[in-house]
Amino acid sequence: MISCACKPWVKGLVFFAVVVGILGAMIGYDRGFREHSQPAWTSATPEMRFKYGSIGAEHDAGVPYWIFYVLPRIFPDKLLQDGKVAPGGYAALGVPWEQGQELPVGFTKKTIGFPRVANNCAVCHTTSYRVSAETNPVLVVGGPAHTTNVEAFFRYLIDCAKDPRFNADILMAEINRVTELDPIDKLLYRFFIIPITRQRLLEREAQFAWIYRPDFPDWGRGRDDAMNLTKYFMIRAPMDDTFGPTDMPSVWNLKKYDWARGHRMNYAGDSNDAYSVIMDSALGLLGAAPANKEDFLGQVKWLHTYLTQLPAPPYPFPIDRARADAGKPLFAAHCARCHASELTGRPLPLAEIGTDRGRLDSWNKGAAIKANQVVREMGLDRRGLVEEDLQGYVAAFLDGIWLKAPYLHNGSVPTLRDLLEPVANRPRVFWRGYDVYDQKKGGFVNDTPEAKRVGTRLDTGSRGGGNQGHEFGTGLSALEKEALVEYLKTL
Amino acid sequence: MNDDQTLPADNPWKRRFLILFVVTVLIPTLVALWLLRRFGEDVPVDYDSPVEHFKYGSTGGEHEMGFPYWIWRALPEVCPQYLPGKGYQSLGMIFEKNPDGSDKDVPIGTSRRRYQGIDRVFVNCAVCHTSTVRTAPDQLPQIVLGMPAATFNMKGFEKFFFRCAADPKFSKEYLLPEIERQGGRLDLLDRLLVYPVAIAIMRDRVLALAGRFDWVFKQHEWGPGRVDTFNSAKVIFNFPMSHLDPKEFDAPADFPSLWRQRQRKEPHEMQLHWDGNNTTVEERNKSAAFGTGTTPPTIDIARIRRVEDWIMDVTPPAFSRFFPVDQALAARGAPLYKEYCAACHGASGSDFSGEYVGQVTPLAAIGTDRRRLDSYTYTLAVNQATLYAGYPWRFTHFRKTHGYANMPLDGLWLRAPYLHNGSVPSLRDLLEPATRRPAVFYRGNDVYDPLRVGFVSDQPQAGGRQFFRLDTALPGNSNAGHEGKAYGTELSAADKNALVEFLKTF
Repeated sequence: MISCACKPWVKGLVFFAVVVGILGAMIGYDRGFREHSQPAWTSATPEMRFKYGSIGAEHDAGVPYWIFYVLPRIFPDKLLQDGKVAPGGYAALGVPWEQGQELPVGFTKKTIGFPRVANNCAVCHTTSYRVSAETNPVLVVGGPAHTTNVEAFFRYLIDCAKDPRFNADILMAEINRVTELDPIDKLLYRFFIIPITRQRLLEREAQFAWIYRPDFPDWGRGRDDAMNLTKYFMIRAPMDDTFGPTDMPSVWNLKKYDWARGHRMNYAGDSNDAYSVIMDSALGLLGAAPANKEDFLGQVKWLHTYLTQLPAPPYPFPIDRARADAGKPLFAAHCARCHASELTGRPLPLAEIGTDRGRLDSWNKGAAIKANQVVREMGLDRRGLVEEDLQGYVAAFLDGIWLKAPYLHNGSVPTLRDLLEPVANRPRVFWRGYDVYDQKKGGFVNDTPEAKRVGTRLDTGSRGGGNQGHEFGTGLSALEKEALVEYLKTL
Repeated sequence: MNDDQTLPADNPWKRRFLILFVVTVLIPTLVALWLLRRFGEDVPVDYDSPVEHFKYGSTGGEHEMGFPYWIWRALPEVCPQYLPGKGYQSLGMIFEKNPDGSDKDVPIGTSRRRYQGIDRVFVNCAVCHTSTVRTAPDQLPQIVLGMPAATFNMKGFEKFFFRCAADPKFSKEYLLPEIERQGGRLDLLDRLLVYPVAIAIMRDRVLALAGRFDWVFKQHEWGPGRVDTFNSAKVIFNFPMSHLDPKEFDAPADFPSLWRQRQRKEPHEMQLHWDGNNTTVEERNKSAAFGTGTTPPTIDIARIRRVEDWIMDVTPPAFSRFFPVDQALAARGAPLYKEYCAACHGASGSDFSGEYVGQVTPLAAIGTDRRRLDSYTYTLAVNQATLYAGYPWRFTHFRKTHGYANMPLDGLWLRAPYLHNGSVPSLRDLLEPATRRPAVFYRGNDVYDPLRVGFVSDQPQAGGRQFFRLDTALPGNSNAGHEGKAYGTELSAADKNALVEFLKTF
């Protein structure tokens, strides 16, 4: 200690202050920032890791666990779908959720000072189907989360934060009803965690301004406006007038993509390769530069390896072999040119397909250059986004096509059978996100009272939701179409 | 420094210091200790006997939900218009007698705990799992622990508190004199501070809860002995009930018995609850304990454990202790039981072995009323997995099922009316096809009918008590299902009588 001539009580006081300061800093670090690994079960198998493993998003995008826990109890009336209150907590928003699990699939819990909840890839890339209304859902990892209402979830958190009842008194009263925080955590929650969380959620509102635009339709279940998310969050572009809702894509069997053969990723071929897409999507979940770059790269590489190998799920119901055999030559004649050829996986000019152009217009070369620069500045290496003007949508690979309903990039056609109809005969309005499978038509049940209650309404006349284009095979006979659908189930 | 200078003994500073010490340290410390003693206690009633503990012991629910003891006592007098008759007895609650012949101060199924400076009362497990049986109208009721609370009107109980709390008479001006009248000797602090504050807090709490239970009063009547279990569970999560799918409602279910739990756990875990939605006895118990007001931080695990231990092996009283059994006839029924019932319901009332016992039969096969099944949703199941988050006993076993579970039949005679919704009054009626079962009958009578095996169900009232008219045509009340050749409804009348006689031995 520095000797000084001051009085002993002054020395004592200084010493006391230093001790208190050090203790306070230690407690502050321990309760506010110290990182604990997730429990072992979250990575017991690759599938568990994909579903529940943290990719590091808790640092910046994490919501404090107990706040996340009590929000649906305090603000149940803010869980909205199609403007109506959806009862049932987060489950009402269609998140895939396994029975017995504390959190839905794609929601990760990790303690960084205090337990936090964030998301991983599985929230948008795990899907569910049911054999009938009298059975429980089967979850399929890597599948497009056709039931998840991402926009409703984004809005929910912000809407809660905007409510004056989002305050320490009300939240703490509810938290105290479900757990016993120790006095230090209680103080931290009351004076730091709750006000800061509210602040952070409110800050998001400006970036999310476009999801509140009355002139844009809701995304509804299973869709997001992916490239606008990238624009407004990654490169912080000012809001423009584009709207490009798309279905969540499947992410299984990524080994089929080969950059050298001209394959491009994302619906409009916006990205060069799977590794880049995984990294960019993960950065979107993190909401900021990775706190630990090395760990982040490890996560991206693991995901890349896992999803490269993950097989597409085979059709789980009986297939009429004879009919499927009859469909095979029809496939060769009407589909294979784009979907089983050198063209597959490559963007085709929009004019040739004629599907809705909203998604194409929501991204551009300038944005790609800017986004690549942002990622580069984080010190992350990848092939990245395609710095070219985009032509049209990619001719999709059809592995596991049975589970990728609804169809077309914007999910505007509910079933395979409907896709084989000319536009005029395709459903003009249907409901998305109900998970009972329609084996006859190849897709999900979409217009029963139950589907209307659970799902969200898609009007194909709404912006970005057009069901036009891709009128191939639409002139086949009804029998031929059935045969073709049967064959598609084998892919 | 001048060390020699000591203070003289009569130094005024010493006196001043002493006064200062007394005023700033001693008195506040004593006051704090007194306050701590007065308001810091958390002490429930305790009983050495597990039986007494079952009847009057605490689950911890008084912490969050407890009604101040004297308010509990005063309310039936202050709000008599919200009760069907005199006192809590009129809701079917059972009061044991003191040695002097007077009623005990609280009924079976309630416990007391001193918490935050006030004695509190709330219900425990026994309120829904204890009832009475009379062998004839002029006989005394005999209390049977662990049997379904066939006379307890839970909805009436909820309604009484919700209505009374909203009444202008729910105020210290009316309550305190009534407490005084009943001999509650409240001290000055209680009269001036504790009870007035408690009255205000209780009113706010009960009225807030009333909002969450609003849906109950839009349903068809449950009547005594029934509760809409899993719509009540949705209230824990504050689901916005008015937005639920209407098909989830009107799902009343009979209270179950809770004897012989060990055999539901070992050697195989059975699917518990009417729809078999959970396979863990302990989880099922903690879930039920929410109904006694417990929350994860306030549940009294040790005392619930005592109840859990007791119900593991407790057995129902034999039918033959109350009425004779025709052994010859019963012996004739035994092979019929074995042929028609045993695979699903166990070898006997004490041997639960059987291929399908404790498993779920799909609804399409059993054909009973589907509302109780539909009230339990996948959405609720996944939400329940968040209960007790952060505790080692977080719920992990709730599952949506698609049928009703095959129950063991211990103490079957005490579990009338039958089927999950209590829509068939007696065993003999259950052996008839649905079209020949009573379309309308009365529930809540504790007089037993040993011939049909069930409670007397054809009287709308008796002894000044009104019984509940159950109309099987109303939603949730269907008496269909569990019928057809495989279910014994096509047996001859003689065979049916023999089978019923055999079931009396369970």
